[in-house]
Parts: sequence; structure tokens; C-alpha cells
Amino acid sequence: MNFADRLNQMLVLLGYVMVDVAVIGAGQTKFGNHKLGLKGMWAEAAENAYSSVDLDFEPRQIDEAFIGSVAFGGSQLGNTAALLTEHSGLDGIPVRRVENACASSGFALRDAWMAIKSGQADIVVAGGIEKMNDLSAERKRFWLGVSGDTEWERLAGLTFPGTYALMARRHFHEHDSSHDDLVHISVKNHMHGFENEHAHIRKQVSFEKAESGFMVADPLTLYDCCPTSDGASCVILAADHVARQFTEDPVWIRSSGAASDRLALHDRPSVTQLLATQKAAKAAYSAAGLTANDIDLAEVHDCFTIAELMATEDLGFTDHGQGGVFAREGRGVRNEGAVCINPSGGLKSKGHPLGATGTGQAVEVFKQLRGTVEDSRQVRDAETGLTHNVGGSGATCAVHIFGRERNG
Amino acid sequence: MDEHVHWKGYLAVINKDGLYIQSSYVHGDQIVYGPDSDSTTMGIAAIQLMLNKGHLIESMHLPDSVDARIVYLATGVDSMTHNSELEFENILWDLLGGDEATLVITKSNSESYDFEEPQDVEIIDTDFHNDMAEAWRLEQETHHVSQGAYVSKSQYLEGAPARLSLRSQKVGDRMIWPPRQLDENGSRFSKDSHQLVAEAHVESWTKLSAAGAPSEFSLRAPILGGIQTLLVRFEQGPRGVFLVTDDLDYSPEIGDTVHFAVRRIYAQEGMMRYGLKAFPKR
Repeated sequence: MNFADRLNQMLVLLGYVMVDVAVIGAGQTKFGNHKLGLKGMWAEAAENAYSSVDLDFEPRQIDEAFIGSVAFGGSQLGNTAALLTEHSGLDGIPVRRVENACASSGFALRDAWMAIKSGQADIVVAGGIEKMNDLSAERKRFWLGVSGDTEWERLAGLTFPGTYALMARRHFHEHDSSHDDLVHISVKNHMHGFENEHAHIRKQVSFEKAESGFMVADPLTLYDCCPTSDGASCVILAADHVARQFTEDPVWIRSSGAASDRLALHDRPSVTQLLATQKAAKAAYSAAGLTANDIDLAEVHDCFTIAELMATEDLGFTDHGQGGVFAREGRGVRNEGAVCINPSGGLKSKGHPLGATGTGQAVEVFKQLRGTVEDSRQVRDAETGLTHNVGGSGATCAVHIFGRERNG
Repeated sequence: MDEHVHWKGYLAVINKDGLYIQSSYVHGDQIVYGPDSDSTTMGIAAIQLMLNKGHLIESMHLPDSVDARIVYLATGVDSMTHNSELEFENILWDLLGGDEATLVITKSNSESYDFEEPQDVEIIDTDFHNDMAEAWRLEQETHHVSQGAYVSKSQYLEGAPARLSLRSQKVGDRMIWPPRQLDENGSRFSKDSHQLVAEAHVESWTKLSAAGAPSEFSLRAPILGGIQTLLVRFEQGPRGVFLVTDDLDYSPEIGDTVHFAVRRIYAQEGMMRYGLKAFPKR
């Protein structure tokens, strides 16, 4: 570190300068059914992230790590992060597991961003991991839905498909939307994920097939639900005064917004809007000085197709109640609408390894903004991207805005 | 003159001797409980009907087959089984269990009672009846426990007054249910007891496939063909989610009015968990 960098660091610590945070590297495993266990998957994601850094970089330069995981199945439920960092060249640094249901690594990313913003660290890893497909079917049933409201929703027979089904039916009742609109979302996300080498389900589906899927939770069919996936993802963040040591082409985290809401759907004022998303998005847009109109691509949390429909409204890509029309008109299709929704295929096609999803979204945005995804998947002229990571049925939410440019 | 009443899924007869109640279902020549009923749920329904008819009942002798704690939480009627400080001679009412799915409520000093036989019994399908009985038997074994979404006995009991009798809180004109702990000022919500009126309107509904049902319902969901849940709003404001009673073939519509009855929800670690389930207002 040269004198100017040291001076800048001191000014940051003293609060005279606000530090900007860059993503200098990002990598992940393929999402899907893995033979690898936790250690192997995490090592692969970390290795991919390390090797994605353009200039000389060694993991020993990392100051701190935040790793999101629900610890599905109870596997290494305690001290997950210490085990994983031990196997990725990060011995000795402060680490912790971050748990906020499906938004675990979205919040790990926020924590890592805050660690750098505060001046306490210069280079920080944010990641996530989940192993879901090594459980017996019966044991998996025990674990699915543990992030919902256990006492009231679970004892009313609900898991997440059921909770989102309640939202969907109510949305259809209140607004100009129908199950056909959800089918459009499913078809789009499978189309986007088809060419993504990291996607769990690389298969296109026709409208007719998606329309007639097996009913999981009326009105949601199999084609409205994301798969349960194994996977890990990892991003490396750096303070602006050190970022240029590692790349001439950083992606900047322009803002981070987060919020929470009542855990149970029935306790919320609305069942067709996620207030946590609205609050987190408002905070993120405000801090970045941007609006939804400035976003070129968005990785949104489509655990169920109705979740994407509602997210397009709650994130401001369309008006409240117009999510069905937005989907029907194909306004989220890559290089067709003003914003590409889920260029990776989203949770629906790319997969949903709970704790790895949030930073997995950041990996996609990092690559899209640097133009390093497969040519056929590239969102044209992508300058600004957004990630939207939801915990449970909307109890927690983290929104991040990324850009080729720093905040003005 | 006996009064015949269809009440919370059961058949009741009321006269000067008290109340007779029985399950709506027969299997062979036996009266049997429906798929999510037992003597506790029917006993609660019987007491609620008596209270509804204006009888003042503070305590009651209960048969062993009835869960006295659940009866107290659901109706406020106490018993020696639940409260050892009660004195035998001060209890004025008896709940008497029969060999089949029948119960009688009568005054403790009555020497005899006589009721007309209820009409409208239904024949329950033999396979359905046997399969459900076996599923409940397995579920009540002490080793049957959810390893993920675990609701402990103490957690269940903490929420039981709200679950069984819609016990709620009131702030100004606003009713709050289920109850909460601290408000925005960091103060405890008042513990004054309020109760929601047990009538609500359907705002949304779903039916989970048997394969998608929570593990707590995994033994019974395939027999029932799935699990049906309603999102409802009570007249006084709060929303809630409730299972539909198991013995109904009900196709809900948004806007329907529903009422509630105590039924078996699921069993874990040998303890039956009871709660309110919804059924449409006839």
C-alpha cells in the first residue's frame, strides 16, 4: 500500500472519507445435485472467485469473511464458517455464519459491505452455501419450510408453496393477473437459464407444458416452484483504495438496502405486497441516487413465479397490481424489455441452494456487468444491475445495486 | 321436547336433563369419531353449546378420555383433573363418556337422563376410517417428532389460549391476534383478556398436495388427498390461517363466511396438539 492509500485509509477510519466498495472477484459452483459435500463445494466456489480476480491475488490478503447458510438438514449447524474458511486458505481471520433464511448470503453481502464501509476491513469475502439433496425424502420434508412461521403457519398445514399460493390467489382476486401470467414467468426463466452453465435446470419449457404442471399448492404447479439445489457462491469485495491493485475493471456496489417484515403472512397489512422488499429497494435506490428506470438487469428472488411477479411491482419496475401485465407482455425478457429480469434463469431455473442464492445473484450481476457471461446470455449495454434476496415469505430482504460506475 | 342441533360437525340433543352429543359417523353398527375428532374435541363442542344456551358452567367432572387442560383453555370450564384445588362436591356438572363416540352433559345430582336419538348419521368409508385411525396411532407414538420445524410442548401451550379460544389483545379499538409481546414503545401489550368473535371471511385459500404437505401431516395428507388451508380475516380485523376440518368436502371461495371448531391438528412426542379448524357457515 502506498502513502496515498494509507492516508486515505486513515481518513476513512476517522470518518472524513466515505469509502466505496468494489467487487473484484466472484465465483460459484454449478447449482444442482452435487456429489461434493460442504467443504468441497465451498472450496470450488472460493477457488473460482480467487481465480476471477484479474491481477495478483492471494486469499491471505482477505481480512474477514461472512458466509450465509441455513445449514439445511442440520449438517455442521454450528461454526459452519470456521470449517469452510479452514478449507479455503482463510485460516485465522474473523469469520461467522450469517443466517437469514433464503436471504442469508444477501445479508452476508451486506455485512461484508458494511465491514469495508466502516473502515474496519479492506478486503472481505461474502459467500453462501447449502447442501439440500443429500437428505432422505422424509428428512427433507422436515426441513423444508423451517424459515416460515413455525407456530402458526406450519400448524395450519403451510409450507412455502402454500404461503405463496395464498398470495397468488389473492393477487388474482385483487388485480389484473392470472395463472397464465405466472406461466409466462416460468417459460422466460427457463429460457434464460437454458444456456447458463451454472443452472440447475437447463431445460426450456413450453407454455403448454408449464401450464399443465402437477399441482403442488393450488394454484401453483411444479413449474411455478424453484428446485431444491446444492451449491456455493463467493464474492470478494475490496475498498476503493485497494481495489485497483487487483483489477482495472471493478464492479461497484453502489448501495445496499435491507429491511424486515412480520414473519407470518397473516400478520402483515398486505398479502399481495412484500413491504420488506419495498423498504429495502427504497433505501437502495435512494443511497445510489437511482430509480428503477436506471436498472438494466435484476436478479430477483423468484422462489415461486408469483414472487417474481410481486417483486417486479415492489421493486418499482411496474406499478402495484401491474405485475401480471408486465409478465404477459414479456417486459422482463433479455434484450426485449427495458430491464432484464433474472438473466441467470433465476431461482426457478438456476436453482435455489438457500444460503448460496444471494451471493449467487451477485456473481451473475458481476459477470453481466463485466461482459463475461456466455455471449448468448449477455444483457446488452448492461451498466447497472440489482440483486433482490428474500428470506422466508418476505420476512427479510436485502437489495443491492451494482454499477460499472461509482456513485457520483 | 328435545331440541336437535347440528353443532360444529356433531349431532346434539338438548332437553331438561342436559345435553347428549355424538359423532355424525357410523362404521358398521358403531358410532365412531370423524377423521380429526375425539372425545376432547366433541366434549369442548358440547360445553360450548351448553354455554351458548345460557348455562352457567364453571367446572365439570370429566372422563379420563378428555384432555382437561385443553377443555379449560378452549372453554374456561375447569375440572379436578386440571385443577387439584377444586372440591368434588362443588362441581355441579358431569361430562359422561359412552362406549362409542357419544357424550352426555348432565347435572351431577341427576339420577337419570333420557334423550331422543339424533338423526342424519353418515356411514364413514371403512378404508378411510381405518387408514386415518392407524395414521393417528402412529403419529401419537412418543418417538414421532419433527426434526426441523419443531414446536415444543411449552411453545404449543404458550400459544394455546389464542389457538383454542381466540384469546387476543386490544389496543384502543384495534384487536391483535395472535398476541404479541412488546409494542413500538418497548412496553408490554396489555394482558387484559379479549376474545375474537369466531366468525371470519375467506381472503384466500390453497390446497397442498400430499407430497408437499409439512412433515407433521405426512401420514394423514395422502389419505385426505392433500391439506386445505384458508387465509381468513375476522370481523374485528386480524387475519389468520386455519386448516379446514378434515371431514369436509369444501370448495372455498373468496368471501365465504367460516366458523371454527376445536379439532386434532397433529400429534408429536405422544402429545396431541389441538386447535381451531374452519368450516363454512351453513
